Amino acid sequence: MLSEPKLKVLQDLIAGSSKEELLWINGYFNGVVANHQPSANGTAQASAVVTNKITIVYGTETGNSKALATQFAAKAKKSGINAKVFGSDQYRLTDLVKEEYFLVLMSTHGDGEAPDAAKKFYDHIVAGGFTLEKMKYSVLALGDTSYPLFCNVGENIDIEFDKMGAKRLVPIQKCDVEYEADATQWFDKVIQSLTQKTASAPTAAPVANGHAAPVSAKKVGKLAFTGNVLTNIDLNDRGSNKETYHIEIAAEGLEYQCGDSIGIVPENDSQLVTDIIAKTNIDGNKSLEYKKEKFTIYELLKRKINLIYLTERLVKQYADVTGHEIPVGRYDLLELVQKYPVKVPSQFEEILVGLNAISPRLYTLASSPKAHEGEVHIIVAKDVYTDSNGQQRKGLCSNYLSGLKVNGKQNFFIQPNKRFRLPADDKDIIMVGPGTGIAAFRSFLAERDATGATGRSWLFFGEQHFASDFLYQTEMQNWNETGVLTKINVAFSRDQKEKIYVQHRMLEHGESLYEWITGGASFYICGKKDPMSVDVENALLHIIEQYGKKTIEEAKKYLEQMKEEGRYEKDVY
Amino acid sequence: MAEKKLTAIEGIKVASDGLRGTIKESLLDEITGAIREDDKALIKFHGMYEQDDRDRREERAAKKLDRLYSFMIRLRLPGGLISAEKWIACNNIANENSTGVIKITTRETIQLHGLYKSKIKPTIQAFNTAHLDSIATCGDVNRNVTCASNPALSTVHEEVFAYADKISNLLMPKTKAYYQIWVDNEMLIDKKEEEDPLYQKHYLPRKFKIGIAIPPNNDSDVFINDIGLVAIVEKDKLIGFNIAIGGGLSATHGNAETYARLATVIGFTDTEEKTLRTIYEILTVQRDFGNRTDRKLARLKYTVDKLGVDKFKEEVEARIGFKLAPAKPFEFTERKDIYGWKKSNKGLWYYTVFVENGRVLDDEQVALKTALLEVAKLNKCNFMFTATQNIIISDVADKNKAAIEEVLRKFKIIEHTEGASLLRKNAIACVALPTCPLALAEAQRYMPEMISKMEPLLEKHKIADQELIVRMTGCPNGCGRSAASEIGFIGTHPGRYNLHIGGDNEGLRLNTKYKESLNEAELLAEMDSLFGLYNKERNKGETFGDFTIRKQLVK
Repeated sequence: MLSEPKLKVLQDLIAGSSKEELLWINGYFNGVVANHQPSANGTAQASAVVTNKITIVYGTETGNSKALATQFAAKAKKSGINAKVFGSDQYRLTDLVKEEYFLVLMSTHGDGEAPDAAKKFYDHIVAGGFTLEKMKYSVLALGDTSYPLFCNVGENIDIEFDKMGAKRLVPIQKCDVEYEADATQWFDKVIQSLTQKTASAPTAAPVANGHAAPVSAKKVGKLAFTGNVLTNIDLNDRGSNKETYHIEIAAEGLEYQCGDSIGIVPENDSQLVTDIIAKTNIDGNKSLEYKKEKFTIYELLKRKINLIYLTERLVKQYADVTGHEIPVGRYDLLELVQKYPVKVPSQFEEILVGLNAISPRLYTLASSPKAHEGEVHIIVAKDVYTDSNGQQRKGLCSNYLSGLKVNGKQNFFIQPNKRFRLPADDKDIIMVGPGTGIAAFRSFLAERDATGATGRSWLFFGEQHFASDFLYQTEMQNWNETGVLTKINVAFSRDQKEKIYVQHRMLEHGESLYEWITGGASFYICGKKDPMSVDVENALLHIIEQYGKKTIEEAKKYLEQMKEEGRYEKDVY
Repeated sequence: MAEKKLTAIEGIKVASDGLRGTIKESLLDEITGAIREDDKALIKFHGMYEQDDRDRREERAAKKLDRLYSFMIRLRLPGGLISAEKWIACNNIANENSTGVIKITTRETIQLHGLYKSKIKPTIQAFNTAHLDSIATCGDVNRNVTCASNPALSTVHEEVFAYADKISNLLMPKTKAYYQIWVDNEMLIDKKEEEDPLYQKHYLPRKFKIGIAIPPNNDSDVFINDIGLVAIVEKDKLIGFNIAIGGGLSATHGNAETYARLATVIGFTDTEEKTLRTIYEILTVQRDFGNRTDRKLARLKYTVDKLGVDKFKEEVEARIGFKLAPAKPFEFTERKDIYGWKKSNKGLWYYTVFVENGRVLDDEQVALKTALLEVAKLNKCNFMFTATQNIIISDVADKNKAAIEEVLRKFKIIEHTEGASLLRKNAIACVALPTCPLALAEAQRYMPEMISKMEPLLEKHKIADQELIVRMTGCPNGCGRSAASEIGFIGTHPGRYNLHIGGDNEGLRLNTKYKESLNEAELLAEMDSLFGLYNKERNKGETFGDFTIRKQLVK
């Protein structure tokens, strides 16, 4: 049925895709077919095309850029353009000078840093020393305006390419945490510039905010599940500063691997929903269309729309619709309807449909498919923080999960993380997982326990207090006793005058740790990116430097080598 | 006996390398708050027990948390004397490392509860800096030596009191393990200095308690000790001590071989040298003849009864090389703390503060802990702990009395002390739940409530003016000396107690089980009827304990 080039594109795509990606593509095409206006002139589009080849390189930490890249590639193909998609760590840097149409989707993290997997790519560009005369490019920069160096990495790439002689297809687009609309618009412009079409193609599959791929895949029914909540317990003892929930969910047909994440779309607090309905006099039972699906307004408020900490853009929209003057800032919807009431319910309906969907949150799974058959386990710390107005706030999803009722139903999806995998059974592993970072390693240890793996295991765990915060203490004790966990060192920061963290424990055991590493052990970090993963990496470098009798440069090279061998993996957030 | 197997603890002691065992390694086990099994027996000799909060076991298990292990540490304070400066140190250490409550024990010392493993070393090091230690306050050694407390009650108190310290030093284990493990890891030890002719490698078969009393007040409950010394005073001069052996209250429910026993007076010694030597050799006889195959039958009282008092005495006399003189007559007329201000013949003042169950803390009723800290900060007194778990603000000069009294008034300590009923002030309860591993029922957490329910009964029967001695223990091991009371509640199950009566007021006659395993309502009903009977039928001046015996309510 397909022409030769199309067939080749499809075959290339299939050959280069993982099982999960294929499942996604399947779901995606379902969406495309469902929404597709049959075009009588499928080839007409192609004839207007300036080029039929583009390269998309993404640099991602949380998977957002990757999801966009995949989504755009599919969209490009619809316009007759073959897009090659690369993760920036898989991209051959020497190919850069040959590129003609080149798109970069790049996230910025923390203090203006490139994602781990994009560091090499970024350093190569910044180091320069080559020209890009053939290249026409555009950059989509993802970031978070709450950081000072917002979209810094994307911006620098844009500037460097320009310096090297490349031409901009369309100007750089910087996106905040809710990037969906901006990103789609940017890509539409890119397609326009490539096809010289005036009207932008309609968006194919409905794209959920944040994690397009898995949400779409839900339609396939393979990676999306409805489970039954078996357990929900606060692992911290009385007197702790923390609340960390261990949740077990059983579901039919589960399929995942250790290292994968679970995606959950949290629901809004019922009281909050009731309050908003009461304040606006809106009919909760009335049906409303939101993103092409119909919901009752109650459903919409409860399960679909983010009501918390609306962005400045949405607040402005609210002000425009209601005619109130609202000082610039971020507000909860309840706060807005209380202080700046809507005049009639219909006005509120207009506002509702313009609000963002609740984005799914990802949590590294704490269970092993072999040890906890038919179950997924999550560990989640209830997030309580102070916003810029000094108000105490609860993280939406962690708060939602903490309140999950046993025997209740819960939807979720599995987000694979292919980079974070156990090595062969006979290989040693070193795991650094303070706080909820323990999740991945509870999964690893349970798996190794179930499979009887012969490789040694060494865990570094840390929290605030030994007595109240030692997550999974009895399990770790058992694994330590049975030898599944060969060594374990713990750091409780607030049990003594001076703060002690996992990296201090690593340094104390540096010599032994170096022996493990040179003996082929894989090193994993899971947990907070900042400052934990940075401190741990520095400690590791220091150990390699000291016990390997290397310069710091050599130590860094050694760590690079470990990364290339897949022996240094991080799952940090 | 030789046929039977030695208890496991005997093996642990002998193999412990001077009570070291693997304590250092235990401290390094990062993932448990507990210490290794064998070390649990050894740290007792260093003044600690491992405990866990039994109330929290189930909940923590659900949270995948191990038991909440913590440690109790008990100081060595012969006679229970401490300077104001040391009290402040204890107050601060308690705040920093333990539950914050300072518990005065029935052995006239103080103990802190709830120390996590990581806090033991900092605690002992801080104690060491304050010149305090916890050596030999638990374990199969001589424990804290108790002594008649209130110096205002006797002209020879100072002289007698000095014996507590002398005995404690004489019977200290020679091992330096305590300092090496807890204070200074790098410390070099000359093993020759550790040779211990008294305890050798296997120490005593069981704990060993020594107490001293000065008649006529038996406030230190002298006959409940393995060795009791009764000071004999003639014409205001100390002429020596009657020596009593084989006291001890612990028993086990359902084990007929075990029993509470008061010490038997075996003779009199007139010089310090003779007294100390006799004490020392009583320990060596117990060391050599005591039962090491059954810890329930290992206390001195069983050795004495096994050999017979005379035989035991002969063995001691053979070792000391002289005959004990016949015991001198003495009389005890009371057994209680004398609350409020008292002046000694040396012109110093003593204020006995009522401390319910010996627990020093700030609660809704009274800020006792803060008050005592404020008193200590004046630096114008010492502190003494009594066997009834109270505090005596001691050695106050005339000129300083007003300043101290001002603090006591400010914090309503005087009101608190004067306001408590006689019943409450004479009562004792042991620690029991949730931390004591032996407890079968509540004691110190429940006793205040029980007293409150008994008070109306005493009022009703018009006997609230009686110095009735009521004691409660969570098990029959007797830390709260329930067997030596006029009314004893001995825990059998949660919420249930054996009711013992018939003990005398002075501590010379043990009580006997009257009713078994009663709940609160049953206990109160029994007491209601007993008190009614006592009020109607007592002789003039007859104590409740004596009345119940005369009436043959128990045998």
